[in-house]
Amino acid sequence: MDTTILTPPPRQGEAARELDYHALNAMLNLYDADGRLQLGHDREAVRQYFLQHVNPNTMSFPSLEEKLDYLVAQEYYEPAVLAQYDAGFIKALFKQAYAWKFRFPSFLGAFKFITSYTLKTFDGRRYLERFEDRVCMVALTLARGDEALARSLVGEIIGGCFQPATPTFLNAGKRQRGELVSCFLLRLEDNMESIGRGINSALQLSKRGGGVALLLSNIREAGAPIKQIENQSSGVIPIMKLLEDAFSYANQLGARQGAGAVYLNAHHPDILRFLDTKRENADEKVRIKTLSLGVTIPDITFELARRNAPMHLFSPYDVERVYGVPFGDISVSEKYHEMVEDPRIRKTSIDARAFFQTLAEVQFESGYPYVMFEDNVNRANPIAGRVNMSNLCSEILQVNAPSEFDEDLSYRRLGEDISCNLGSLNIARVMDAGDLGASVAVAVRGLTAVAEMTEIAAVPSVANGNARARAIGLGQMNLHGFLAREHIHYGSEEALDFTSAYFAAVAYHAIAASNRLARERGEAFAGFATSAYASGTFFDKYTERDWHPRTERARALFERRGIVLPTREDWAALKAAVMAHGLYNRYLQAVPPTGSISYINHATSSIHPVASPIEIRKEGKLGRVYYPAPYLDDGNLAFYCDAYEIGPEAIIDTYAAASEHVDQGLSLTLFFPDTATTRDINRAQIYAWRKGIKTLYYVRLRQSALEGTEVEGCVSCTL
Amino acid sequence: MTTATSRLTRVHAINWNRLEDDKDLEVWNRLTSNFWLPEKVPLSNDIPSWNTLSEPERRLTIRVFTGLTLLDTIQSSVGAPTLMPDAMTPHEEAVYANIAFMEAVHARSYSSIFSTLCTTREVDDAFRWSEENPALQTKAELILERYRADDPLMRKVASVFLESFLFYSGFYLPMYWSSHAKLTNTADLIRLIIRDEAVHGYYIGYKFQQALAEASPERREAVKAYAYDLLLALYDNEVAYTESLYDEVGLAEDVKAFLHYNANKALMNLGFEGLFPAELCDVDPTILAALSPGADENHDFFSGSGSSYVIGRTVATEDEDWAF
Repeated sequence: MDTTILTPPPRQGEAARELDYHALNAMLNLYDADGRLQLGHDREAVRQYFLQHVNPNTMSFPSLEEKLDYLVAQEYYEPAVLAQYDAGFIKALFKQAYAWKFRFPSFLGAFKFITSYTLKTFDGRRYLERFEDRVCMVALTLARGDEALARSLVGEIIGGCFQPATPTFLNAGKRQRGELVSCFLLRLEDNMESIGRGINSALQLSKRGGGVALLLSNIREAGAPIKQIENQSSGVIPIMKLLEDAFSYANQLGARQGAGAVYLNAHHPDILRFLDTKRENADEKVRIKTLSLGVTIPDITFELARRNAPMHLFSPYDVERVYGVPFGDISVSEKYHEMVEDPRIRKTSIDARAFFQTLAEVQFESGYPYVMFEDNVNRANPIAGRVNMSNLCSEILQVNAPSEFDEDLSYRRLGEDISCNLGSLNIARVMDAGDLGASVAVAVRGLTAVAEMTEIAAVPSVANGNARARAIGLGQMNLHGFLAREHIHYGSEEALDFTSAYFAAVAYHAIAASNRLARERGEAFAGFATSAYASGTFFDKYTERDWHPRTERARALFERRGIVLPTREDWAALKAAVMAHGLYNRYLQAVPPTGSISYINHATSSIHPVASPIEIRKEGKLGRVYYPAPYLDDGNLAFYCDAYEIGPEAIIDTYAAASEHVDQGLSLTLFFPDTATTRDINRAQIYAWRKGIKTLYYVRLRQSALEGTEVEGCVSCTL
Repeated sequence: MTTATSRLTRVHAINWNRLEDDKDLEVWNRLTSNFWLPEKVPLSNDIPSWNTLSEPERRLTIRVFTGLTLLDTIQSSVGAPTLMPDAMTPHEEAVYANIAFMEAVHARSYSSIFSTLCTTREVDDAFRWSEENPALQTKAELILERYRADDPLMRKVASVFLESFLFYSGFYLPMYWSSHAKLTNTADLIRLIIRDEAVHGYYIGYKFQQALAEASPERREAVKAYAYDLLLALYDNEVAYTESLYDEVGLAEDVKAFLHYNANKALMNLGFEGLFPAELCDVDPTILAALSPGADENHDFFSGSGSSYVIGRTVATEDEDWAF
């Protein structure tokens, strides 16, 4: 592992201790003698980290030319990236980046960047890049010879407005690298060829740095017949075990561990066994440790629970024979009563409320499963077809199409699987920069470049889906940081008002940017003609009313920065342009949870409230590190109410305001104190579903220390 | 007054709805909701990190864990069971039964770490070392002596010292590793153990204080003097143990500060004042911060399982919840 040699020397005596950057950082979690936060120590930790460790271990060069020559000659940088530009331009671009005088505002940001992103020598001993170099290489890669775009990307990234997701930011411009795309979604069909292909694809995609989600809803249940012989199938659990092992085997040159998720419909007969794999007392043969689980729940399940009725589970094997399409492509809500009546479909039943209760119990014990409200998703989906699964972070929601295989595993019919590349805007920085349209447009071009440059030959269905869809996922982060800095409480009326207007404006600019791309490239995404964009119905809600702030506070946030929000007339003009020329990207927005990149970018994660004003962050590569919320000081602490105190409703309201304007999904975590019960979780789920939320990500619990056992003077015990 | 005569002589069916001490239920609830098994922690994620440790660092780590295994074994097979006959309420006895079981889980977890990270030879060597290390054996003997003697108060004192003091010379190391981004999943598992031990030490100390309050003033003084004597004996031995382990990697002084800090905590659990002045308890802030039981840690799910999940309270939904 490449972090080895880079640990600090063992400390000796008092003097050395004062300077240890880990110790300085840890003091964030301890109050000073007067009971104040020790934010200054974190800034000192950054300084000491660079002085003691980073600078002495960074290889230096007399000039930029020599540095680039060396990195290309030694096969660190990709020569084709640099060859697209003349040397003078490259020099000027690096100068532009260095002139910004970038400094990491937090120790975690610096530590994360240096340990996980920056280019190192092959032996892992020396650093070869500074933050500015990484930004320039990303910009040069994505701009593909377009100098103006390269300059804009450098400006947006180094200024903190736009932050590409990890795979792009980590890999772009490097010679030895994984893919630029982070996220893949694969269908599995109910046959061994598809399952085998799926496992192989999971290996191939993990190796290239992606998180992979697989749809299990189509797989016949345990006890279903094989070749008409009854009680032969072993259901979905053994497939999950195979996948779990596949993911732990493959990682991206050690940079990232492979990660996977599986989705199952709530009305699949294996659903309870599926959930039980995450139980604390699950048998080792069925326990699932590292694979993530997701459940898709249609409206009808809620309806049945409301009536306190049993819910029927349907054999996918029979459903596929009756309807001629896989179970995952059926709307269970629509066909429920028909399937109940149909004697050809085997069914069992469980209590609907007990199902929800089991769901919450397992979430209590493990944080899983994710939940996708299938009908909310499909009602809001502008593309013809059916969304039947999500991904590892529950923000990607796209239509797919099945593949068929010949006996030698070659494709009889090449389907469409999903890949999505992500990048997020920092709401505070974008607002401060004052040109929302420009920031969104540069981000859309950067993300589209990734889609165009990506071809996953190892998984043809993904390559096909990407080529036809060119889907991207523009996300957002630092909502809570921005609101707190402006002294607005998360979840307040003004906060929701701002969120709605901001997301509506982002949607407008993203669609406008994609429309410009369609005109420039002279083509729209495959399937545009049957989309709600082409028919124009997508735009109805924007041309019928303005989505402008109603409160004075929220309006002032835009006006003070000179940000003009799109009007009904602007939307009507955009509608006409889109109907005439199409969109280049099938999907545009998706709001990811933003772990690592929000630390590097100095933002609060996604549009969530902070988990704590001083967050204890634990990751495999970092150990425990402490992260102060952006803009936090002793004066504005009250606006950093944490997610556990804020509670699920305010979070759901915030996400509902944003979801309205996001074509895909948003990762929404629910936070509860350990005094909550399964009923509290169920109520939050019901509330979220009713508010039109599309997916729920993790359930996180906070257990307060038993009185008398706290660590004294520890910020995390008292804040 | 806590003599053999006041022990529970007959067995009555335990009624959790008639509590004599609310603390019993509170602690029972906490311990049961904290139930866990080592299989939940993806220890194998630490293999790459383990391979970056030097030979002496690995040896040290395995030795530390064999030392902890011995303490957990004592507590599970002797410590908690000897407290059971002293229980004043049936609920207290039930709590000790839970403690005994969880200590067995802890002892079991170290073997999970070994089987995941180490070779059989390395582990066998370390167990041999632990059999032969005089300080470790003295430590076990000092505690076992009190457990065998017929003084219920001193049994509790010994038990609190074990739970709140003696474990920590060992706990230091995984906390140190995790604050330097090493063996972070192992540290998660150890933090689950710390979470349990903190409650055990607190509860046994609480029961001790209750019993002590009912004793005569002379007896109280005698027990207190006896407790300090035992602590000092254990402390002297612990210093030797710490040096035998940590001198090689240059951490012995840091660990000693940590010992002082925890010795004071152990005394406080018994209701006594601390022994070591603040300047001797200046624990490295990374270790102190790493100790907080992880309840509010924001872990990333792709590299660990976190230590904040618990077995929740199940409450059925009502019609009003479904009124839409």
